[in-house]
Amino acid sequence: MVEPLQLQTAAWALSSTLELGLFVQLLRRKLGRVYPLFFAYLLSTILQSIAVAALYRGGNFDKLTTWKIAWLTQGVVVFLRALVLIELARKVLSGYIGIWALARRLLLGVAAFVLVSDLLLSEGQWQWLILNGVRGLELAMAAVIVTMLMFARYYRVPVNSFQRSLAVGLCLFSIFYVVNYSLLERVLQEYVVLWNFFGIFSFMASLLVWIKAVTRYAESEAVALPPAISPELHGKLSAEVNTRLILLNRRLIQFLHLKDPHS
Amino acid sequence: MSLPVILLVLFALLLVGLLAWALRPPAGPVRPPLDVFEALSKSRHCLRISHIVQALHPEDTEYLRDTGQLALMQTLRRQRRRIALRYLDQLQEEFQELIEISRLLAVMSPELIGMEEMERWKLSLAFAANCAFLRWKLRLGLQPFSGFTLLSDLAISITRELDLASTRIAEAAVRSANPSASGDENIGGF
Repeated sequence: MVEPLQLQTAAWALSSTLELGLFVQLLRRKLGRVYPLFFAYLLSTILQSIAVAALYRGGNFDKLTTWKIAWLTQGVVVFLRALVLIELARKVLSGYIGIWALARRLLLGVAAFVLVSDLLLSEGQWQWLILNGVRGLELAMAAVIVTMLMFARYYRVPVNSFQRSLAVGLCLFSIFYVVNYSLLERVLQEYVVLWNFFGIFSFMASLLVWIKAVTRYAESEAVALPPAISPELHGKLSAEVNTRLILLNRRLIQFLHLKDPHS
Repeated sequence: MSLPVILLVLFALLLVGLLAWALRPPAGPVRPPLDVFEALSKSRHCLRISHIVQALHPEDTEYLRDTGQLALMQTLRRQRRRIALRYLDQLQEEFQELIEISRLLAVMSPELIGMEEMERWKLSLAFAANCAFLRWKLRLGLQPFSGFTLLSDLAISITRELDLASTRIAEAAVRSANPSASGDENIGGF
């Protein structure tokens, strides 16, 4: 019978292979330049895998130091994932100045509210603060992704398939982390192998979603990109839009005066 | 399991549901901006609200009871209620069109005011709820006057917001086209 630890090691090896596969795909598609923070995040996960493997197999540190170093690398990875989220939101919404300005405030507010709520709801001793903090951050990231997608849907802002996949992968991983940690929080020590295994499994699912998106990136992005226009044409179109806006404004005023019984 | 943990897990599951909802394709095809703006020039159903309210008034058909034509009165009232229901469908469609225009203006606007956007979200929720309420009232044969007045007010409120938003956009467009122009000029005034 396969030991749980062997199963976990196999899952870890498979996850690292997928990470490398995605890394190669990103390089081949030259997506590192388009999504530099996502590229940096993926690189950090690969380096983290190497560092943690070296730490647990060959390191001569005591248990506490090993734990601290492992969590430090996790902190870097989580921080970079948060940056990926900012990169994603910027890519989706920043083309629309007014919407982006409003979305930035809203997303920051959602993130702060969820993070603080999670910390307030958390029980336990101060030693659990880091773990609870990470869970709060994961929950906040998931809430921000969902809010951003709902925001984009409401205003009919197009989100291309790569951006959707990126959002889905990040969100599902974060949600799974929260559920996994919350359910196993009380019995973490007894089920630490199971906890780690589920964590790796959910990350592998996200990696598969991203690999598929990167593989199909060229077609989806080609559809989403607007055609380039000359400055002269842009000037003409801009003037046309302005004229129509002024006409619209006149119509609205007429409309208002006709309809408004109080005026 | 403690209550906070249950709440956190429930919130996480709610996020999964919302994610699935947010990823659904839009209900209808996105209409080009010009088509949406063109919709503004169409005649408005809101303008006929007084006729509909008048037709639904019991006094309007009460004389039939006095002349002993009770069956005819009931048929007439039923027909008028059906017409009112159709009118309500048109009113809702019109409201959706106004919301569509307001979204389009928001996408083009260089500046959005959070409170105004929030008001619009609340307004569309209130409108949808009122429409559903009114529809049931009509189906049950109850008097819907206050509901109709409320819907009419909501539609007028949305129109006012649209007017303000388009004025801001037109001002911004003129400012960017002519930097020397005074910022105090009100384009919406002519």
